[in-house]
Amino acid sequence: MEAISALVLDPGTNTTRCGFAGEDTPKTCVPTYYGIVPDPETPKYFGSLKIGENAVSSVIDGMEIRNPMNDGIGTSQLVHISWAGLENWEVTTEIWRHCIEYKLSSRVEEHPLLVTEPIWNPLKNRERTTEIVFEDFNVPAYFLVKSAVCESFANSKPSSLVIDVGHANTSVTPVVDGIPLRKGRIHLLQSRVSYRPFSHNLYTGSERTPLAGLHLTTQLRHQFSEMGIRMTPWLMLKSKTTYTDLTNPPQLRLRDYGFQPHQSFIEYQQDRFIHEFKESMSETWAEPRSFPADINNPGDMLRPMAEKSYEFPDGYQRRFMLDRCVATESLFNPSLSPKPFTGDTPKGIAEMIKDSVDHLDADIRANMLSNIVVVGATSLLYRFNERLSQDLVAMFPGPRVKLQSSGQTPERKYSAWLGGSILASCGAFHQLWISKQEYDEIGSNIIERRAK
Amino acid sequence: MPPFRDDHILLIAPGSTWTLAQLGLPESFTPAKFRIPSRMFPGVEEGQYLPNKIHEVQEGQELLLGNGNVVTAGPGGKPSKKRKVGEPTSKPSTTTQTTTNGSASTANEAVKKPTGDAKPAEAKGDTAMADAADGAEPHDDDADEEGNDEDEDQEMNGTKDKDEDGADGKIYYDDDFDEEGAIWCIEQGRIVNWECFFALLLHVYEQINPTFHTPILMISQPCWTCTDKERICQFIFEKIKAPGFCMMDAAAAISAAYGIPHSLVIDIGYEKTDITAIVEYDIQELGRTTVPVGGNSLNKHLQKLLPHLSEDEIEQLKHSNICEILPPGIPIPGEEDIERDALLLPPEISTVGMGGVLPPKAPEEEGNEEEEEGVTNIAAIVASGKTQEYLAKKEKEKADKRAGLAAGEKRLPNYKREKNTFSFVEKVHEQALGEGKEDNPVEVHDGEKMDVDPAPAANGEPKSAVDAPNPSGADASAAEPQTNPDGSKPDGEPAKQGPSLMESMFSGTKDDDEAKRAQEKALRREEKKRQEAAQSGEKRKEIEVGTERFKAAEGGILEALADAAHRVVSSVDDISKRSDCWDNLIIAGNGCRLRGFKDALVNTIIAKYQVSPSSSGMFTSEIPSNIPTPSGTGTNTPQPSAYSSQQPNALLLQAAANNAAAAASSHHHSSSAHYPQTPSSLKIAKIPEYFPEWKDAGFEECVFLGAQLGAKIYFVADQGLNKGFVTRADYNSQGPQAIHNI
Repeated sequence: MEAISALVLDPGTNTTRCGFAGEDTPKTCVPTYYGIVPDPETPKYFGSLKIGENAVSSVIDGMEIRNPMNDGIGTSQLVHISWAGLENWEVTTEIWRHCIEYKLSSRVEEHPLLVTEPIWNPLKNRERTTEIVFEDFNVPAYFLVKSAVCESFANSKPSSLVIDVGHANTSVTPVVDGIPLRKGRIHLLQSRVSYRPFSHNLYTGSERTPLAGLHLTTQLRHQFSEMGIRMTPWLMLKSKTTYTDLTNPPQLRLRDYGFQPHQSFIEYQQDRFIHEFKESMSETWAEPRSFPADINNPGDMLRPMAEKSYEFPDGYQRRFMLDRCVATESLFNPSLSPKPFTGDTPKGIAEMIKDSVDHLDADIRANMLSNIVVVGATSLLYRFNERLSQDLVAMFPGPRVKLQSSGQTPERKYSAWLGGSILASCGAFHQLWISKQEYDEIGSNIIERRAK
Repeated sequence: MPPFRDDHILLIAPGSTWTLAQLGLPESFTPAKFRIPSRMFPGVEEGQYLPNKIHEVQEGQELLLGNGNVVTAGPGGKPSKKRKVGEPTSKPSTTTQTTTNGSASTANEAVKKPTGDAKPAEAKGDTAMADAADGAEPHDDDADEEGNDEDEDQEMNGTKDKDEDGADGKIYYDDDFDEEGAIWCIEQGRIVNWECFFALLLHVYEQINPTFHTPILMISQPCWTCTDKERICQFIFEKIKAPGFCMMDAAAAISAAYGIPHSLVIDIGYEKTDITAIVEYDIQELGRTTVPVGGNSLNKHLQKLLPHLSEDEIEQLKHSNICEILPPGIPIPGEEDIERDALLLPPEISTVGMGGVLPPKAPEEEGNEEEEEGVTNIAAIVASGKTQEYLAKKEKEKADKRAGLAAGEKRLPNYKREKNTFSFVEKVHEQALGEGKEDNPVEVHDGEKMDVDPAPAANGEPKSAVDAPNPSGADASAAEPQTNPDGSKPDGEPAKQGPSLMESMFSGTKDDDEAKRAQEKALRREEKKRQEAAQSGEKRKEIEVGTERFKAAEGGILEALADAAHRVVSSVDDISKRSDCWDNLIIAGNGCRLRGFKDALVNTIIAKYQVSPSSSGMFTSEIPSNIPTPSGTGTNTPQPSAYSSQQPNALLLQAAANNAAAAASSHHHSSSAHYPQTPSSLKIAKIPEYFPEWKDAGFEECVFLGAQLGAKIYFVADQGLNKGFVTRADYNSQGPQAIHNI
């Protein structure tokens, strides 16, 4: 009998991916968002949990949509939504379990498990993950890998500057010979003293910013509501009537559920068409001229922006021109955001990369710049890479800047998972596993010793 | 290893209610030969499962079998006595025993049925019945003898070990008809009881009993986990000892049957619907979803609307001709249309929706319509040299119409009627096993016919056309036993008339013709079924239902499916392929057999999700659409020619071209192009036409056709060169996980 294949779990803020090591795409991809229906009879979570695509999309009275990654931290834009805030561990465990057992294997205790983690994952979370994996899932062996490393491997580069434009965060991580760069702990201590949410880096040269998919969604939502668009999601509608005149919209044909769904549910459903808008409409400004500050008065443009029309779920059709680029532009130029930041305005993505590279030793800078790997689903935005490359070339006129990015959508979306799959299936990796026995002897702290 | 042959391949497609199976691939692919209910009964021993219900009887006790037979256990484990329920034990008048029993024999039924009947009628019926029973007796006994002999044989096999216990007077009986205590091993596609599932597989295997050199192809449910597949693989190799085994995903099989590279497969089952997007024959594993909505949801919803009907009645109502989902624009009769009007789609979309549906015309218009059509048609008719026939037909139509008028509103088509009836067939099992051998036409048992009255059917025929054509048999059938002037089949009659009715209703437009033909076909099939039913001893009654019959799919069922379908397509990674998926919608599975269901589903998706083509504004109202017409049978007749030549495809193409050009010109080195919103159009995929056997059976079970195609390729054409299946050697070296490596 061959060895039982390992499972690879890649928990993200938007979705949690899981599949068997050695395959090229994950088998399951479930929303990390979950629903909670207030129910006094199940006191454990103050309600019954609804996990999974279908459950989250079903209309249930009082169901609130939450994300374990931001519970306890709040939803203010400025605060990071990330693993750092992974407070609600019971729910997380349930989501992971669902993700694994739903389609993969009803016997999670038989498979070694590889979990990816972001580079800024604090020790507390790592230990907790270890506990869950061994205590709740009872796996025979387990390992925790930095997702940036996986992403680098997935693009077949042991050394690279990984730029991961994900849902909640955009991060940049220099990886050298399969190891994310770090230098001592001084940075961490410093950042503890004066807590600054964006730069308490354990790793030199690695940076992150919330300018990512979620930011884009927030910006688009704001933009739409400024325009006066009724953002009724599909699930709330019976049918639509096409119209173009916003001032005199036809009456909505709403479905009558007999109750008003929770606001968070409606927002989650709105995200669906906002997502579609991102896919089909949003475009990154990648012209030589910088983006006009006032889009209503673009001045003399070299080329007028192609006009595109989008139909909202309620049937409203609108032609978008330059305003297609506004939200995406805010990723690079946050000061242009339609919805202003409360508090400090973070740096744009390109500038953050510059910061990171400036922190690096001079002797590896050139190598890093010529091996930039761009991953993450938000990097699939139309012409995103073009723009990024353009900005970086302008910032580093001297050395050769080379962006590498897979043309395959799944490889970009699931690159962290894919790298994990490659690692876990490679023979040499087997000696790295932390076994159940070791855990029993040492406890959850073993993770800090074995997987740094 | 010698190569596998066409006729030695076992196909199994397990489902929640039925398991389809077949041995061998015929020259031309046919629907599955075996349909076995996916349930087993707990055997006498713990952990043992048998295909039939087993009763345990103490010596001397009487046992009522589900088919209405009563068996008395005699000494020595031998059944000493058999008789029918409702047949007198000693005196011919005893009916008390059984009246409480739901599955009473025909004789009883005849008495009970005309509920509104006056007493004298009952008395009359009683005597008549007594006659009938007398007449029937010898035959019944024969049948019983045969049936029970078989029973014993089975019992010997099934519970051999226990037979010795005959000493303490226990005997065991197989009961083919009792479903109580059955264990359904698959729920919503998931295997919930493994022991039972394996017992079922073994049962299927033993029933078909193939040679040793027979590889097995199994259709796997999308929700089976990898572990599940491994377990099945292990069972196949270790218990059944097959030389080769492979699994084919249900959605893959369906799309293989259609032979389309990109599609969206909506497989509607009993309690769940699997929705899968397929891109380049590749299942989009990540986005696929299983919604807990299926054929049974329709039942449940109907049940809620019609609480006075039993489950069986609901089920049959759903299968009957009168239960359908009306296309938009046709009001539910008798209802003030306020609600639906509000729902009614905006004009341009509703024309899309109606694309192929063709709203049946209101009768008032019909006169004019007919003439108009007639004028346009005449040239063609004359040219085709069929003038004579045409005139004859016209004449007939007119006559029919007159008759129709005479009969009044009863002759309206289904969608016009506020109430309509269907005949509920109750299983009576009066001659349970071995009945097929016995041919006794006198006995052909519509309850009413038991009044043995050899009045010539020929005489009855025209007469009933005049005074008993009432298809809403409530009073007709009630009257029947009393007067029963003709003794002909009372419900067969209106059915036969159906086609001509339809003819009078619909004028000669081509589509109507088609609809009519389909209707006729359906009716003929119905008729045939009836006859078959009659032969197997079933009992029917007419049940009248109101407009609830049009509302089976309301209550969010269609919306849930539409929404899930949209989610699935939105999760397809390759954005450029999404519109291809929308353009090849495959709706399969037995859950969608309900008339009008497919179109209603398509219309729901269109109403909520379809967007006008990207450079819209200009021609919003001209969205091309190509939805096949529903025919009376529920299958879709593809009509490609009628639509492809039509309208604004040119515009669309132009729009698309503009788009592409814009994309190309503006962005030189972008890797991914920018794609517009989907779906801008929606079509049901065309049913392949080269499988004649499948056409009649309906394409709902095309998953099995896919299995046949798959088996042909994997086992016969390829012979394992491309690792299409797990061989014995693979299994020996890799274990159950070998199933994942293919």
